[in-house]
Amino acid sequence: MSIKVGIIGFGKMGKLHLRVSRYMKDAKVVAVADLSQRALRAAEREGIRALYGDYHEMLRDADIDAVIVTPPNFMHLESTLAALEAGKHVFVEKPLAMTSADCERIDDTARRRGVRLMVGHNYRFFDATRKLKATYDSGAIGDAVLSTFELVHGPLAPSLESQPVPEWYFDREKVGMWLLDLGYHLVDLFRWLFGEAEVVHARLDNHYGFPYEDNAIVILQSRAGPKGVLQVGYFAKLVFPAFDFRVILHGTAGCLSTDRLVPQNLRLHAAKEGIANMLRRITARRIKPLSYTYFYSSYVEEQRHFFDCLQNSREPAVGAKDAFATVRLIEDVYRYCDRVPSAAVRAS
Amino acid sequence: MGTIVGLARTSTIDEAGIRDAVFRALDLVGFETFGPVETVAIKPNLRFYWDYSTGETTDPRVVASVIDYVRERWNASARIAVVEADASAMRTRYAFPLLHYDRLASEKGVELVNLSAGETCELEVTVGRRKFTFPLPRMLFDTDLFINCPKLKVGPYASGNALHITCCLKNLFGCIAKPRKVGWHPQINEVIVGLNKLIRPHLNVVDGIVALGQRPVRLGLVVAGRDPVAVDSVVARIMRYRPSSVRQIRLAEKEGVGSARNISIVGEDVKAIAKVFPSRSPLAFKLAWTGQLRMLRLYAKLSGDAVPPLLD
Repeated sequence: MSIKVGIIGFGKMGKLHLRVSRYMKDAKVVAVADLSQRALRAAEREGIRALYGDYHEMLRDADIDAVIVTPPNFMHLESTLAALEAGKHVFVEKPLAMTSADCERIDDTARRRGVRLMVGHNYRFFDATRKLKATYDSGAIGDAVLSTFELVHGPLAPSLESQPVPEWYFDREKVGMWLLDLGYHLVDLFRWLFGEAEVVHARLDNHYGFPYEDNAIVILQSRAGPKGVLQVGYFAKLVFPAFDFRVILHGTAGCLSTDRLVPQNLRLHAAKEGIANMLRRITARRIKPLSYTYFYSSYVEEQRHFFDCLQNSREPAVGAKDAFATVRLIEDVYRYCDRVPSAAVRAS
Repeated sequence: MGTIVGLARTSTIDEAGIRDAVFRALDLVGFETFGPVETVAIKPNLRFYWDYSTGETTDPRVVASVIDYVRERWNASARIAVVEADASAMRTRYAFPLLHYDRLASEKGVELVNLSAGETCELEVTVGRRKFTFPLPRMLFDTDLFINCPKLKVGPYASGNALHITCCLKNLFGCIAKPRKVGWHPQINEVIVGLNKLIRPHLNVVDGIVALGQRPVRLGLVVAGRDPVAVDSVVARIMRYRPSSVRQIRLAEKEGVGSARNISIVGEDVKAIAKVFPSRSPLAFKLAWTGQLRMLRLYAKLSGDAVPPLLD
């Protein structure tokens, strides 16, 4: 049976999830809800017929089984709770909510309503991070003692279509804890690899004149032992396919880096994957969607996992509990900064 | 003696070094004001929200030095405004604070003006056989001194299908009050020249402290001059382009905006600077850029694969 899906929020992420959903065997996006008429027109151009200016109306449609929630971060709580209360299975972009308390509320609601919830921790679905974890878990580098997690990008790099950066990026209230954006992925990857952790040190700083920090160094120590330095920043002009991300693990028996697992030349990789997909197409096999972009294929993998879990009545790999623990650890970073003002330069 | 274009370099890229280079370049030009300077408008080049170290936007320290020069040489109590208009993907209300222009404004006691927000006038201009009407900020015509402060860079048009040099002539594109300017891109050279026929900056001070070619490069250079066509011709030579091969320069000269001939270059050796500039071939760029996009579209059509919204 095909799962009928609605999307709440048709910005960049909503559009991406719609395009990715077309490659899902057992799911089909049938409706889109967004406050913006421009976004709804864009959804119409993508072939969606059921368009809603109010997502509550969409949620009243009994035919819709699952909802993909992709509005700006500060709107996740309300729309996710509404979807869960309506009895829909939910895939929600990270962060699940702006506070760990709100993540708990969502978790409680999902359990009470007996529906499944997955949070979009797509960095766990990169081919490179999956291989890194599998190798580490196999014991190939012994016990990790030290590790580095780096991710630098910018919300300010425009797409090829000249559009302003969304206004909410500049609103401190709406952005909330800045580490909920890019930093979230690194905190989550640390927890995924090494389990629960505590904050050893943090420094939050500004390069640009944002109303909030735009770069940070965080040192975490897992209860199992490994320590990690997380470096994250919003300050770089990186134009696709440039991607400044790496995880390096230093173990007692060797070292491992995603730099060795990610294609060295992403343009060459795109060309190779493009040719491979064309051959698959010619020989009537299924193509590997977005594999030519390397990092975007993680969205395909996570969506495939979500719909697979719905079809087979399994719990998704990344649920509200994981999101709660990641958000709580980020809250610990900010609590640390409040406690140790000399160690953290906070945006005024 | 022809039009003077002054070049000054600093080996120490800090506030003092930049100030010294700006003052030397302007002294070389020997610009004299025609009357009392009570109001001054300075137009930097802000692109998206990128830092000056990327070679994309004018360094606020260059603008600060120009402000100091105006106050020291012409009028210590002149009312100075740093001006920029909103663009399709950039809002000045965010760009000014993000790029630390608000700090400059409070330190120097100058005003920051969004050219898209003030009073505008619709002006018509003809370039060749083409007629254009632009909504332009009235303040630019009412100011005693208008100083153009572009960045020395080469980059793709917003439409992405060709490279162009962005310097004095192109920086006036950012004076159009209407934020969504992409509609003018198909005729960009004519539009640039038309704007330069309507708005005549009194002085041009080019920020080549960090310039942009194939990649950003620390040149520590300031170029100054009165004639935008002459300054852009010198900049084109620094980028290792023949000025006569740059359409906007050729067209601007033909339309009487300025002259690329009889230029007296003083201060630095253009050839020596050109040697370290990471030049970028317009043809190679065009082939690579349009080639990639066409390949992607063709691939998506034939294979049925998706294109991420980022690449739309």
